[in-house]
Amino acid sequence: MFKLTCSIVNSLSTACRQASTKGTSFHFPPLPGHDSPLRWGGKKFEELPILHIKATYNNTHIQLTDCEGQSLVRTSCGTEGFKNIKKSTPVAAQTAAISAAAKKATAKGVTFVRVIVKGLGPGRLSAIKGLTMGGLEVVSITDNTPVPHNGCRPRKARRM
Amino acid sequence: MARHLRFVARTVMVQDGNVDAAYKHLNRVLTQDGIIETVKRKRYFEKPCRERQRKNYENCKRIYDTEMARKIAFISRTIRTDPWVGS
Repeated sequence: MFKLTCSIVNSLSTACRQASTKGTSFHFPPLPGHDSPLRWGGKKFEELPILHIKATYNNTHIQLTDCEGQSLVRTSCGTEGFKNIKKSTPVAAQTAAISAAAKKATAKGVTFVRVIVKGLGPGRLSAIKGLTMGGLEVVSITDNTPVPHNGCRPRKARRM
Repeated sequence: MARHLRFVARTVMVQDGNVDAAYKHLNRVLTQDGIIETVKRKRYFEKPCRERQRKNYENCKRIYDTEMARKIAFISRTIRTDPWVGS
């Protein structure tokens, strides 16, 4: 089953790469099986640290982990001193990203980073912008918003 | 996505440090795949009766929109064969 999905993914990716070489230049990320010559700061794509951005409707959390998953830096709008409604603003997300990137990540010697975004909140884009303003290099953006295939029942609809 | 196909699905590489363009591309891909719409809809529970009404409405709207687009394209066409050939 896993080998089947791997082979499907490989065939899909090679087909898409061949199709997209001439058109738009947004190429696909280097798969762990394939050896690509791309290196960022001497590291392969799989060894770059990962920066998780969880953009909920009320807050934005930012956590930097290494490729294994060990947490290095953790900030959120609340840790930056914002309270209640001010946390759910793009400005707060940007300040959290700048403080996480500029102060703490560069202190640990991190330059290139892969970004994973989760959730559709107000701080989704401004957090990434804050990272680049803070001096971190974003290599790739992944969207990991949880999409249930009809699992848990969400709360009832609001009537306003 | 979670553990399987990590960094393969729903991933966009940043070209020449242009993070805004990469984010726009990602957004476009997600909207075309219907993920953003699904996430917004599943935020609150949609009762089965409301779901059936919404699906019916979307079907009718799709039919109406395609027919109207066809009519408009027909009326606003520029390459026309000459109906009075020879005069």
